[in-house]
Amino acid sequence: MANRGATLLIVGINHHSAPVEVRERLAFSNGTLETALRRLVDAETVREGTILSTCNRVEIISSVTDLVAADEQIKTFLAQEHQASRSLFEEHLYSYVGKEAVGHLFRVAASLDSLIVGEPQILGQVKDAYAAASAVGTLGEVLHRCFHKSFAVAKRVRSETRIAAKAVSVSSAAIELARKIFDHLEDKTAMVIGTGEMGELAVRHLQNHGIGNVLVTNRTFSRAVELAREFNGAVVPFEQLQKHLRLADIVIGSAGGNDYLLGPIVVEEALRERKRRPMFFIDLAVPRNFDPRLNDLDNVFVYDIDDLEQVIEENKDEREREAMKAEAIVAEEIESFWQWLSRLEVTPTIVALREKAEAIRQRELEKTLASLKELPPHAQKAIEALSTSIINKLLHPPIVYLKSGGKDSDVQTDPDVAIVRRVFGLDEENE
Amino acid sequence: MEILLLTVTLVLYLLSTVAFILPLISTRAFSRALGPGLLLAAFVCHASAIAIRSVAAGYIAVTNFYEAVSFFACLTVGLCLLVQLRTPVALLGAVVSPIGFILTLGAFVFYTQIRDLPPALHSAWLPVHVTLAILGNAVFGLAFSASLLYLVQERQLKAKKAHAFFRLLPSLETLDELNYRSLSWGFPLLTLGILTGVVWAEHVWGQFWVWEPRLIFSTVTWILYALLLHYRTVGWRGRRAAALTIVCFAVLLVSFLGVRFLPGRHGGQFG
Repeated sequence: MANRGATLLIVGINHHSAPVEVRERLAFSNGTLETALRRLVDAETVREGTILSTCNRVEIISSVTDLVAADEQIKTFLAQEHQASRSLFEEHLYSYVGKEAVGHLFRVAASLDSLIVGEPQILGQVKDAYAAASAVGTLGEVLHRCFHKSFAVAKRVRSETRIAAKAVSVSSAAIELARKIFDHLEDKTAMVIGTGEMGELAVRHLQNHGIGNVLVTNRTFSRAVELAREFNGAVVPFEQLQKHLRLADIVIGSAGGNDYLLGPIVVEEALRERKRRPMFFIDLAVPRNFDPRLNDLDNVFVYDIDDLEQVIEENKDEREREAMKAEAIVAEEIESFWQWLSRLEVTPTIVALREKAEAIRQRELEKTLASLKELPPHAQKAIEALSTSIINKLLHPPIVYLKSGGKDSDVQTDPDVAIVRRVFGLDEENE
Repeated sequence: MEILLLTVTLVLYLLSTVAFILPLISTRAFSRALGPGLLLAAFVCHASAIAIRSVAAGYIAVTNFYEAVSFFACLTVGLCLLVQLRTPVALLGAVVSPIGFILTLGAFVFYTQIRDLPPALHSAWLPVHVTLAILGNAVFGLAFSASLLYLVQERQLKAKKAHAFFRLLPSLETLDELNYRSLSWGFPLLTLGILTGVVWAEHVWGQFWVWEPRLIFSTVTWILYALLLHYRTVGWRGRRAAALTIVCFAVLLVSFLGVRFLPGRHGGQFG
C-alpha cells in the first residue's frame, strides 16, 4: 500500500514559459544534482523525485502525497537551491498533476515539447535525469515505471512516425534529395560552380554527410583556389567546366550572371561520357545557373531554390501530420499507464476489503458454532455457506464499483477509493 | 490441410498488401513491422502448403499449372524476404504482396487433385528443369518490382513532389542496383532452365526442340532479357532500363501463364 494517496506532480519551466535569463537561473549543473535530489525528496510530502535540467527546460518530476504542500515545497526548494527570490520565476512555472503530468513527461521524452520538434537529444537527457535519480535512490515504483514507459513511448514515436526525419533548411533539403538519388555519397563527386554563400553552405553539408570529392570552379580563379583549399578539394579552371562536368555526380550552381551556365546539349554530352550515371543539379543561384530543361533529360534531376523551398514547405506539412500521429500514440500510452497506476491503488483496497470481511465472518462463525454444538454437521455446513454467501453478495457491488471506477477516473486522488476505505474502516488498526 | 493452408496464405497475402499500402495513404500511425511480418507468415504458410502436397504426391509439386503458378508466387515472395535481409527496401513488399496474392489466387482457381504422373514426366529432370525455370522467373519478378518502384520514385523526383511514397522508398541507386543484380542472376537461371528442358526433351522424345507456342514464347523472352542485359552493360540505366524490365516481365508472364490455354507439351494435356 506504499503508493496510496500519491499523486504525480510536475513543476517546471521551459522555452515556452520562460526567457533564457530565467531558465539559466534555475538550471542544475551535474555537480549539484545529487545533493539537490536528496534535499528535494523527503519521506513526507515529496515521496519520489527527479530533476530534469536542460538548456530548454528545468522540471521537477515527482510523486507527492499532498498536492498543495508539495507544490509549495518544490517552489521553496527551487528558490533555496538557486538563492533566487520566488518572484523571479514563480510566474513562469507551470505545473501538471496526475494524468496530465504523465502526458507531459511522455511528450517531453518523445520530443513533442521540444523547441525543434523531433530533435533527438531530449530522450538522452530524460534518461540521464532518470539514471541520476535512480542512482541517488529518489525513485519509487511509480516514477520508475513512468520513466520506463516514457522511453518506450519515445521509441514508438520514433519508429512509427517520421517526425524526426525532416529537412528544415535549403541545404538539408538538398542533402535529403541527394540521398533519394544516390545510395551513398562516399564515392560521389560534387562540383560547385561559383563561390556564393549558399553554395558554400551546401558543400559543407555534403561534406558532413561524407561526400567523396569536391571540385570548385569560379570565374575568378584565385577565389576558387581559396575555397578549394577550405574544402580540401580540387580546382577546375572555369573555361574547362564543360570538359570536367562528366566527373560530377552533384553539381551546385552558386554563380552570378544572367545567362545559363549549363544547357541540355552540354549535359547530354557529359551524360554520355559517364555512361548515363545520374546527375543531380542543385541551382542555388538567382538568376539561375542551369537551364531548367535539363530536368527533361533521362537520369538528370534539377532543383532550383524554389523547388527546394517547396520541399521544405511540404516537410513542414508532413511534420504536422506526423506530430498528430505522435500525439495519438502518446494518448494511447497515457491510458495504458493510467490503468496500471489505477490498479496499483484499487487492487490493495479490494484485497483489504475481502480480508476484512473474511476475518469478521470467521470470528462470528466460530462464536455461533461454539454455542450450537448439538447441530448436525450438515446444518453447520449450511450456516457456513450462508455466511460466505452473504459476504460475497454484500461485497460484490462495491468491488465492481471500485474496478470500474479505476478505468478512467483520477484514482490516485480518487474520492471513490477514499470513501470506500473510510466507510468500511479499512485503514483503522485492528479493532 | 493443403487447401486450408492455401486459404490462410491467401488471406495473409491480402492482409500484408493492406498493411503495406495503408501507411502510405493514411495519417494514422501504423507499426512498420506489420507488413513484413504478415508477408513472412504468408510465406511460411505457402511453403508449408507446397511441402505438404509434395510429400503426399511423392514428387516436388511443380507438375501442372496450379502447382507451377503457386510455386512461382511462393518463390517470388521468399526471394523478396531474402533480399530484405541485405537491402532493406520496405516497399518491395507493397509490390510483391499483391503479386503473391493474385498469382496464388489464380493458381487456386485451377486447383487440381494430386494425380499419378504421366510416364514422360517420370524423370529427375522434371524438378531440375522446372525449379530452375521458375526460380529464374521469381528473380525476374524481383527485378520487375524494383523497376516499378524505380519509376514511381523517379517520377516523384522529376515532378518535385514529396509524397509519402517518396519518404519510404530507397534511393534510385539502390533500386537500379537491385534491378541489375536481379537481371544478372535471372538470366543464367532462365538460360539453364531452357537448356535442361532441351536436354530432357532429347532424352524423352529424341528431339530437343519443337516449335510449340511455349518454346516460341520462351525464345522471345530469352532474347528480350539478353537485349536488356546487353543494353545495361553498355550504359543503359535508370528509367529506360526499368521500363524495359517491366516489358520483359509482362512477356514472361504471358508466356508462363498463357501457355495453360495453348496446345503443346507445356500446355493443356499436362495441366
